[in-house]
Amino acid sequence: MSGLAAAIRLARFGRRTIVLEKHTRLGGLNSFYYRQGRLFETGLHAMTNYAGPEDRSAPLNRLFRQLKLSRKAFQTHEQLGSEIRFPSQSLRFTNDFSCLSDEICAKFPNSANGLAKLTEFVKQYDPFSKRPWLSARQSLNAFIPDPLLIEMLLCPLMIYGNSQEDDMDLAQFVIMFQAVFLEGFFRPAGTIRDFLNLLQNHYQALGGEIRFKAGVDSLLVRDNQVFGVRLANGEEILAETVVSTIGAVGTMALLADSLSGEQDDYVGRLSFVESIYLLPQAAMPGIQHDATCIFFSDRDQFVYRRPLEPMDLEVGVINFPSNFQGLPSSDLVQVRVTHPANYEIFRQADLDAANGRSGQYLEMKKAWQERSLAKIGKKIGNFSQNIVYQDTFTPLTIERYSGKAAGAVYGSPLKVKDGLTRYRNLLLAGTDQGFLGIVGAMLSGVTIVNQHILTTSGPESG
Amino acid sequence: MTRDAISDVIIEIIKDIDEDADTATLASDKPLRDQLDLDSMDFLDIVMELRKRYKLQIPEEDYPQLATLDSCVNYLEPKLRDI
Repeated sequence: MSGLAAAIRLARFGRRTIVLEKHTRLGGLNSFYYRQGRLFETGLHAMTNYAGPEDRSAPLNRLFRQLKLSRKAFQTHEQLGSEIRFPSQSLRFTNDFSCLSDEICAKFPNSANGLAKLTEFVKQYDPFSKRPWLSARQSLNAFIPDPLLIEMLLCPLMIYGNSQEDDMDLAQFVIMFQAVFLEGFFRPAGTIRDFLNLLQNHYQALGGEIRFKAGVDSLLVRDNQVFGVRLANGEEILAETVVSTIGAVGTMALLADSLSGEQDDYVGRLSFVESIYLLPQAAMPGIQHDATCIFFSDRDQFVYRRPLEPMDLEVGVINFPSNFQGLPSSDLVQVRVTHPANYEIFRQADLDAANGRSGQYLEMKKAWQERSLAKIGKKIGNFSQNIVYQDTFTPLTIERYSGKAAGAVYGSPLKVKDGLTRYRNLLLAGTDQGFLGIVGAMLSGVTIVNQHILTTSGPESG
Repeated sequence: MTRDAISDVIIEIIKDIDEDADTATLASDKPLRDQLDLDSMDFLDIVMELRKRYKLQIPEEDYPQLATLDSCVNYLEPKLRDI
């Protein structure tokens, strides 16, 4: 998504641009696949950063202006409302922030003032200025006197976008607080496929070129400068600037000294297992189905780290993709359940399977999916007897299809905020530059192009 | 290009950037950014569009000279004389 946004931005001003897509479909993590004639989205639970078309300065609307796409023609559906559920308390939030603040005033009266101050602080804070890493947990202690509330606020923000274990950078917290609580969840009308088509058609109408099945094998380097790429089929494409949107690890795999430190430093430890269940609409009244997302922790102390077992069933999110306002009803509805998972354990099981101990990986995946289903049944009501189709993907599936090293969907724990590498004309955009979610990733592409390509003078083709 | 023509071009570019921009009531001696609620990213689009249309390279240190419609015209008039 970040690469496509960067390319649209350049094509808009007449720069010659080629998007190299490794797969046969665009979107990376946010793509889709078909099973039984039905389209399933891969990454999308909900888009963050909701803003109505009238709010000019909101990230979503700035993004659309920058890409020269009509925001008014882009139909959105806002969430019904989501829940943060802990053993001893729960909180509901919608795209109207007063819902959450009223809940907090009622349930955590001692923290009401602190929340107001925190909100003001978030609005004033520039998360993109250069600063050392600061602990979000410690910063929150200064505002919120209720330790449980701190855990509850961190839960959805970490699950939906934190690439570090246990704590998050204050700047990332600010970005996520804004994106999730102050702006909120929505989804586009139609599917992610329609959204990708919109972007692709727009880009091509601006004169941009896309190559599919065009994975990059290596970067062409001379005199400490990148001057092009070599594709897997041996073809070389020369370029004045290369924008890499394959993450820090992928970029270092192509050019080991492009970023400082070791490649392993950039491998994220957090990955997830997600199960998708398809149920008939008629089965829905039997389960709790009034929320768009339920973020849960079965411990009052929220634990966000790579689990010691294959999955951490005590933490996760239950998502109902049909629970957005004004969506057309469908005979079948999805429930998606996501838990933190251990990439290394799944990888080892896969290796064992490859070495003749057949079935290890598949058995593990099935056993843990069943345990998760039983657990979720206790939370929202048992629906296992009504499942007409189900699919589960693991950290390995994510790594295979999205190219995210170790299946770390939120990328590297170290962010390259300026998008610069050691090579002047090799730039990094996307999740590892520090923006998150679909809107964030696309804004990353736009920002990198604005800061490092458009504003530098150069020939008209690039 | 005449001063009026340059002014029309700027307004056309702004309308192109923002479908809702109300340019009818624009005061030519007041900052464009305040009147139209343009942010720095929108502002960059004006510069880039001028570059695309007229092959004009406007260095970053000259951006302040594009603050109002009048100052845009003053700045661009000598550069667009032959167009």
